[in-house]
Amino acid sequence: MKSKFLLAVFAVAGLGATGLSFATVKTMQGPPDSVMLTPSALPGYAIAQGHCTGCHSAEYMAYQPPNAGRAYWDATVHKMKKVFNAPVDDADMPAIVDYLSATYGNKQAK
Amino acid sequence: MTHPTDRLRRRFVAGGAGLLAGAGLGALSRSALAATTFEQPFANGKRLIETFPEKRPMIVLTTRPPQLETPFEVFNDGLITPNDAFFVRYHNNGLPPAIDSDKHVIKIGGNAVGKPFELTMAELKSQFKAVEVVAVNQCSGNSRALFTPRVTGGQLANGAMGNARWVGVPLKDVLARAELKSSARQVTFNGLDFALKGGGDLIKALDVGHAMDGEVMLGYQMNGAELPFLNGFPVRLIVPGYYGTYWVKHLSEIQVIDNVFNEFWMNPAYRIPDNACACVEPGVAPTATRPIGRFDVRSFITSLHNGQHVAAGRPIAVRGIAFDGGQGIREVAFSTDGGQSWREARLGKDLGRYSFREFTFGFQADAGTHDLRVRAFNRAGASQPMEALWNAPGYMRNVVESVVITAA
Repeated sequence: MKSKFLLAVFAVAGLGATGLSFATVKTMQGPPDSVMLTPSALPGYAIAQGHCTGCHSAEYMAYQPPNAGRAYWDATVHKMKKVFNAPVDDADMPAIVDYLSATYGNKQAK
Repeated sequence: MTHPTDRLRRRFVAGGAGLLAGAGLGALSRSALAATTFEQPFANGKRLIETFPEKRPMIVLTTRPPQLETPFEVFNDGLITPNDAFFVRYHNNGLPPAIDSDKHVIKIGGNAVGKPFELTMAELKSQFKAVEVVAVNQCSGNSRALFTPRVTGGQLANGAMGNARWVGVPLKDVLARAELKSSARQVTFNGLDFALKGGGDLIKALDVGHAMDGEVMLGYQMNGAELPFLNGFPVRLIVPGYYGTYWVKHLSEIQVIDNVFNEFWMNPAYRIPDNACACVEPGVAPTATRPIGRFDVRSFITSLHNGQHVAAGRPIAVRGIAFDGGQGIREVAFSTDGGQSWREARLGKDLGRYSFREFTFGFQADAGTHDLRVRAFNRAGASQPMEALWNAPGYMRNVVESVVITAA
């Protein structure tokens, strides 16, 4: 048996009478990025700065678990291009994956 | 009463240059060096605490797009999660800089409606009967970071859930005006947020029978106020009992279609193993998948946290919350000996079968450590597993949680 929703019928005037105020415009300006890509001598670092963090902040990389393997980074970079149209040249992908795997994945220096 | 933020603050670690050496945060910007941080209970779990518009300080999963986790202490303050503490999850950073509710329009169309039309917010509020429901919204990946072995994706602890009183209009009533054709099979939902490079816009679909069940609604009020921007102002889809992925924010387009919608966020994203437990052995690929659906049963102690020290020999009032996908909670059992013996907790006020349900029990801790566990059962008899289930996307965690306290 379906239990019933609590049904509340409001007249528009009634809503006004409850004193609810209706903001008509809301804006959204979040704080600046706090987490940046970890600098690296690997060539993929500069490419990732140009092509990854233009659209999203670096926590997406930095917060992955320590067991994130190269296969994850490779699949993710390809997904970013195929699904989200990330402006990444195919030729640059291995370098980006090298950088992400070495910096954030299970290839991190211990 | 202590404000929850103050309590959270006491658990923060002051930010400083030493953080740069931390494994988790990579390179921090200058502004981040002044921010407070919070340590989640898993490897690589250091997080920043920041304030976004209409939000109190929240645990930041990502800044762009905004993804914010509710500090768990908030769940001990009451059954309703305040708007300024309610979790935030976006998939793309294409956010309109401003939204004017007076100009916002929902377009209703698709190849399976006879009469496409447009609806302003004023029309939505004045031309339809409003309904109210208290319902939990929970991210599919809530608690993902607690999976063992760990899985990739948004690394959340247990704070990507919340319970609110929603007011809105049943989708059924809105769609009735569009005169659905007999060919109608699914209904898709899109919002103002968009993909920055044009690919991967979040569009979700429900089967038409679900969309027309009278419970799915267009929600324009949350806990007696307008929705915060980051929770979908001025109107979002409310899908009681279902994971948050379907609760499309800034709802602007509804299409009734004669086929099964199969774009990225329906397939391959947000799918679970097509079996009874929605689980597989770690590393094993499921033979088939289906779109994620209703919440499973969960329960949490909220008045004590793992590792807490309490005074020995004194009675402790333990309090927590339980919920499920809409059957309603029938019973919460508790154990103070790691699950060897169980007793029944008292249930609190019933705010409806989609709401958090409070439970309480008393406990007198002798000196030593005590492994507290709670396990909820819903009215259909479904419960929580003693050992965690696993799937690769990290969805639907609902293991019986353990809170170990030390009495001295």
